Amino acid sequence: MVSVSELQEMYVDMVTARHYEERLQEEYLEGKQPAFDISAGPIPGELHLAAGHEAAAAGVCQHLRDDDAVTATHRPHHVAIAKGVDLERMTAEIFGRETGLGKGKGGHMHLFDPDVNFACSGIIAEGCPPAAGAGLAAKKRNTDSVAVAYLGEGAIDQGAFLESLNFAAVHDLPVVFVIEDNDWAISMPKDRVTDVENGAQRAGGFDMPGVRVDHDDAVAIYDAAKEAIGRARDRNGPTLIEVQVHRRMGHFMGDPESYRPEEDQEAAAERDSIARLEADLQSHGVDEETIEELRDDAHERVEDAIDFAKDQPEPDPSAAHEDMFVNPPSGVTDTEPEYDLAGGDD
Amino acid sequence: MSGDTDRVEVTVGEWPDDADSDEGVVVNWFTREGASVTEGESLCEVQIEKVSLDVLAPADGTLVEVVCGEDDEFARGDTLAWVSPA
Amino acid sequence: MAQKEHSKVIERELTMSRAMVEAIAHEMRENEEVFYMGEDVADYGGIFDSTQGLLDEFGYDRIMDVPISETAYLGAAVGAAQEGMRPIAELMFVDFFGVAMDQIYNQMAKNTYMSGGNVSVPLVLTAAVGGTYNDAAQHSQTLYGTFAHVPGLKVVVPSTAYDAKGLMHNAIRDDDPVMYMFHKRLMGIGWLPAPDGPKTPVPEEDYTIPFGSADVKREGDDVTIVTLGLHVHRALEAAESLADDGVSAEVVDLRSLVPLDTDTVVESVEKTGNLVVVDEDYRSFGVTGEIVASVAEENLGALDNVERLAIPDVPIPYSRPLENEVVPDVADIEAAVERTQ
Repeated sequence: MVSVSELQEMYVDMVTARHYEERLQEEYLEGKQPAFDISAGPIPGELHLAAGHEAAAAGVCQHLRDDDAVTATHRPHHVAIAKGVDLERMTAEIFGRETGLGKGKGGHMHLFDPDVNFACSGIIAEGCPPAAGAGLAAKKRNTDSVAVAYLGEGAIDQGAFLESLNFAAVHDLPVVFVIEDNDWAISMPKDRVTDVENGAQRAGGFDMPGVRVDHDDAVAIYDAAKEAIGRARDRNGPTLIEVQVHRRMGHFMGDPESYRPEEDQEAAAERDSIARLEADLQSHGVDEETIEELRDDAHERVEDAIDFAKDQPEPDPSAAHEDMFVNPPSGVTDTEPEYDLAGGDD
Repeated sequence: MSGDTDRVEVTVGEWPDDADSDEGVVVNWFTREGASVTEGESLCEVQIEKVSLDVLAPADGTLVEVVCGEDDEFARGDTLAWVSPA
Repeated sequence: MAQKEHSKVIERELTMSRAMVEAIAHEMRENEEVFYMGEDVADYGGIFDSTQGLLDEFGYDRIMDVPISETAYLGAAVGAAQEGMRPIAELMFVDFFGVAMDQIYNQMAKNTYMSGGNVSVPLVLTAAVGGTYNDAAQHSQTLYGTFAHVPGLKVVVPSTAYDAKGLMHNAIRDDDPVMYMFHKRLMGIGWLPAPDGPKTPVPEEDYTIPFGSADVKREGDDVTIVTLGLHVHRALEAAESLADDGVSAEVVDLRSLVPLDTDTVVESVEKTGNLVVVDEDYRSFGVTGEIVASVAEENLGALDNVERLAIPDVPIPYSRPLENEVVPDVADIEAAVERTQ
């Protein structure tokens, strides 16, 4: 059973993530109105916001430690927040600043925080193999760490995902694959790209447990993840979980969503996992005042992170040429040993 | 309308339903001043919020004046150009 | 320039994306075996407007949205092409090539040769390329050199609407696999404003531009700037400003990398003596080195000075000042030209 303090922690993660995305949307649109120029404003480039996905992050990451690996997707902020990624440095990265997680080199789809073993990739399903690799390392080193790979429902047709499922299954790796099903792969509804009813069914082909959570109820996700992550930690192999979430802000900022029926957008807006969790908190005896306090603190933390980021300097252009290799370009050593090798001249 | 009887205004016909904004931007002109146009041909492309729309020639004739050039902003109902009917 | 060959004055101007789409629509009307497959190409019309409006005319059977399974649908395009159909398949971003590299590098590119010329692969693989809008390392590459390197692919890179249409007609009619690499910044998309230049007059009728015919986009006497894609326009802007300083720059738009029109480049260098190659791909083992080497092989003596501008062998960074540092801009081109004078 989930404890009240855990419910509160999940709530904080979720309201932090929601407010974060709402505030980033505002910042992103600065300089992009009335003409939407993707390269203008304080946050340029593509921005994929995760409003409506929060429960999938909070419910799973609640069970994770700093040493457990998480690979997220092109839509990574909510997972990063739930995993405990440094919010100020993550925000500085999204604003392209020198003190960002990647010194401004990565950007919002490429966030790396080794302190909490978090990474993401902008290429569909490509976080799955590295998550399997983190599981492999845990198995080889005989630790009880686990790895979680996030992907979208559109990624379940990708080779990297299917191959990783098999790899993790055949080696009994401590990996949990979490599909966030928001119904839409950009403009493609899922029934036009796969004949299975849900992504969890993919597990059957690999003799792996597959679990579908039909609504973005943080507690239901928490329960499903608890079992899966427990199984992984106990070295009983991988699990595939699919969670229904909702895409509230388009595929990316600037997506006109003209392909999407209005009812569907409205339905996504109406379903709110945060309101649901608030009701859960209240039924567990947490009063409204406490909830409000948690929410206000979370909002303040977001504001602080954005203020921090905007205060940071932009990187010096010369930094673009740095960080190519950890070792100097010539290699680990800069001297070659001298051996007398026989038979060199024949 | 302009009261100008011998020319027809070019304007965004139907403003997108879901647009909150009453402003748009001209993104591309496909015809230059002085060129002949055919009714219904796409004269320019505008962007209203995130949606792109084509603005069509209201009549056969000549595009006599472009009022709102590329990258210019305009408001709902503004005249973007004038066509002198053939 | 090629446009001058037409006696009739063309008044209608198109963006690059519309010119591309017009050619595709024409070929689809003419030949039922032409169809288009890709992610978000039907209802969305292509993230970069590459298929805008085609669904309405041709329907879902011929403008096919596909699952996010590049290996499967690019490979399926290879298979359908080998059956004699003329598929066009799209990589939404060229950066996504990696997940389907075997189908591209080992099947599409090699089947004709391995069959001793008995199998043909009349497939057009379209792909959006390029940066300049801070989309970072996995969504900003051009990868021109990667695809021109493997033998077996024709590689086309339009820089204007006129070229885009003629090259697309030629690509679809070609019996070999063609990589058609369109630069996002040139398409004329509302949310990604193009520079002046790619929007050009475009004839309504069909016409072809042969591959391997570089286009001298500006004539000059003092230096030859060889480039492609977005950087054609940056080079033209640099040439304009250099003219004020009394430097006359010739701008050669390669238009295709395979086949490569070495003759036009060499002729130009023989006239100017100075070669500046500008590329938006990585510097090492790429387009710039290839062009310089090709000229050197043909006429080493013609080369007084050589300059290369390209991405300096780093992934494309996200932050605006960092990306601006690594992608050659107009000032970089001017400076490179000045160094040859």
